[in-house]
Amino acid sequence: MAKPKIGIMYLTSCAGCQCEILNYEEALLKLLDLTEIKYFPIGSSANTLDEELDVLFVEGSVSSSLDEEMVKKGREKAKILVAIGTCACFGGIQANNNDVPLEELLETVYGTTDMPFEITHARPVEEVVKVDYSLPGCPVDGKQFVYAAAFLLNGVKPFFPKMAVCYECKLSETECRTLQGLFCLGPITAAGCGAPCTSKGLGCQGCRGDHDAPNYREMVEVLSARGLKGKDLINFMKVFRGNYLKEKLKDAGVE
Amino acid sequence: MMKKEIKVDHLTRVEGHGAIEIILEGDKVKDVKVRITEGPRFYEYTVRERLWTDIPKVVSRICGICYVSHRIASVRAIEDAFDVTVPEPIKLLRRLLIVGEFFESHALHVYFLALPDYMGYDSALAMAKEYPNVVKRAFKMKNLGNTIMKTITGKHFHGENIIPGGFATYPTKEELLALKEQLEDVIVDVEDTVKLFDSLDYPELNDPPILQMAISKDKLAFVGNEMYLSDGTVFTKNEFEMFVTETFNGYSMAKQSTIEGKPFLVGPLARINLHIDSLRPKTKEIVKKMRIKFPSNNSLHQNVARTIELLELVQEGIELIDAILADYPSVSRVDVKPKAGTGFGLKEAPRGTLYHKYSFDENGRCTNANIITPTAQLQANMEKDLKSLADRLSSEDEATIKKYAEMMIRAYDPCISCSVHMFGAKFETLKVVRL
Repeated sequence: MAKPKIGIMYLTSCAGCQCEILNYEEALLKLLDLTEIKYFPIGSSANTLDEELDVLFVEGSVSSSLDEEMVKKGREKAKILVAIGTCACFGGIQANNNDVPLEELLETVYGTTDMPFEITHARPVEEVVKVDYSLPGCPVDGKQFVYAAAFLLNGVKPFFPKMAVCYECKLSETECRTLQGLFCLGPITAAGCGAPCTSKGLGCQGCRGDHDAPNYREMVEVLSARGLKGKDLINFMKVFRGNYLKEKLKDAGVE
Repeated sequence: MMKKEIKVDHLTRVEGHGAIEIILEGDKVKDVKVRITEGPRFYEYTVRERLWTDIPKVVSRICGICYVSHRIASVRAIEDAFDVTVPEPIKLLRRLLIVGEFFESHALHVYFLALPDYMGYDSALAMAKEYPNVVKRAFKMKNLGNTIMKTITGKHFHGENIIPGGFATYPTKEELLALKEQLEDVIVDVEDTVKLFDSLDYPELNDPPILQMAISKDKLAFVGNEMYLSDGTVFTKNEFEMFVTETFNGYSMAKQSTIEGKPFLVGPLARINLHIDSLRPKTKEIVKKMRIKFPSNNSLHQNVARTIELLELVQEGIELIDAILADYPSVSRVDVKPKAGTGFGLKEAPRGTLYHKYSFDENGRCTNANIITPTAQLQANMEKDLKSLADRLSSEDEATIKKYAEMMIRAYDPCISCSVHMFGAKFETLKVVRL
């Protein structure tokens, strides 16, 4: 039987998700045995997007016409497309500037708007092509990637329940950072990472996006009571999702 | 006269997307371009009006490989702006983190990105069948780096436990001892790595860098407050922008850095070249026996310089843990109170010097930021090296020139993950200067 063909693509991002994947060497070497990696520019100089792929993993946001073209081509060739990491799932940090005109951004950072190719605001992959599964996280959690790959290659739909980070804090007996007075987004953020930030004595930074029923209004009240207010509060909450979260907050009646 | 354009439309085994272009007229090199874009992520804009507490988290996302560098450079700049001095234990733990970062980054680079060229493979993973031990060693060294970062910050990448004032929590004695054991265990692998990279065939290139730059005049250091140039110039972090100037060249989204209009070299080769005489005795002993001699004018030897740095760093890691344990338990964090002002942070990232600058209002909201990454600094020097390489190879066939051009770019390990998006299909619509 022919081996399934997979690809790992990256758009505008820091490459951190791919590095996280590279860390799971045993799984990776197995993956190499069980599949043919047809597209993986950071790891190999032999790449093609001209063949059918069974699974394509995509890291990064769509931030230019080149990203758009590349991911569209990838989508055409892939039976299953999985968005990995916060940039691919929510636009990432670069989506923080989506309410600023591009001209202003370019003028400020480059001193000109005359760019070598078309720049767009940062979009999550699903805004451009159909995404079958999303694995958020900054970076993506390596174990989740391994599970998802294993599920997909066995023809099983990957499923990760979206509980709050608080749940994992309880499991690991980490003292509640909210009760300690820290700014912690654990109460609205989806678990699955193992809560490493809270275990180190910090509040959850919210990189994995919402769990199933986020109570924004309550979260904002709690953070305000702890001294984080106004624009600073919005900035803190929207770091990983930028204006996409701002819109959600607006919809929930919080501003 | 025959005009020939040699293009690598999509560089692989680099972090990010990039392209190179060499234009030949007969046997003469007319033009060389490295197209790097710093990616439209606008970090310097994103941090504006943000509280200082958010800044390290935001800017560390510039790079997934050297996030420790960005975080440390930013917290140093923030502490500088707020006049915060951190005590020794915090400095030591930061240095131990740097050991972790370099192990991850250098091992990833030399084995996974560079080595396949010299062994005739497309990827390191493809080498796994015939050279299982080389690949295992690569993973072992890389994993050690990750373990150090994860132990201290909570995650392999983008761990949040690096904050202005120090660390929210300090690792336990047991964790530190476990790291020490792993560092001791990896020494032999590092020595074998040095031997392996010393034994490879590097095309002869003898084009002296115009200028080389690294932190600190006296010895190899990865954080510091002053820069040292190979012409003897020393300048402080506050003076960085007076020496290193950036311009936008229109074809590459990374701004191009020069010093007095000249390209310059930063990174492992510059660091080892400038500090070869002050390495640890054990390193010197090994370096003395090496085939490749330093200081070296061959930019391809950056790979070898990386392995020498690993040798220094593995020893440093062990020394640091001893020093930390001698004074344990330690202060993990000092208070930070914002005030109006500007701060500067310098760090040697794996690829070269990294510069962060922030200005704040009295509430600690950022009013202005400037970040100059190593890859931006190196862009002009990469073009200079490619030009001399193409000069030597101009009569060779296209495939050969391409191959060596890619090897040269990979020797720099450009961190274009911060980030380039040149995709072959679109190349024609770019403003390419054609003959």
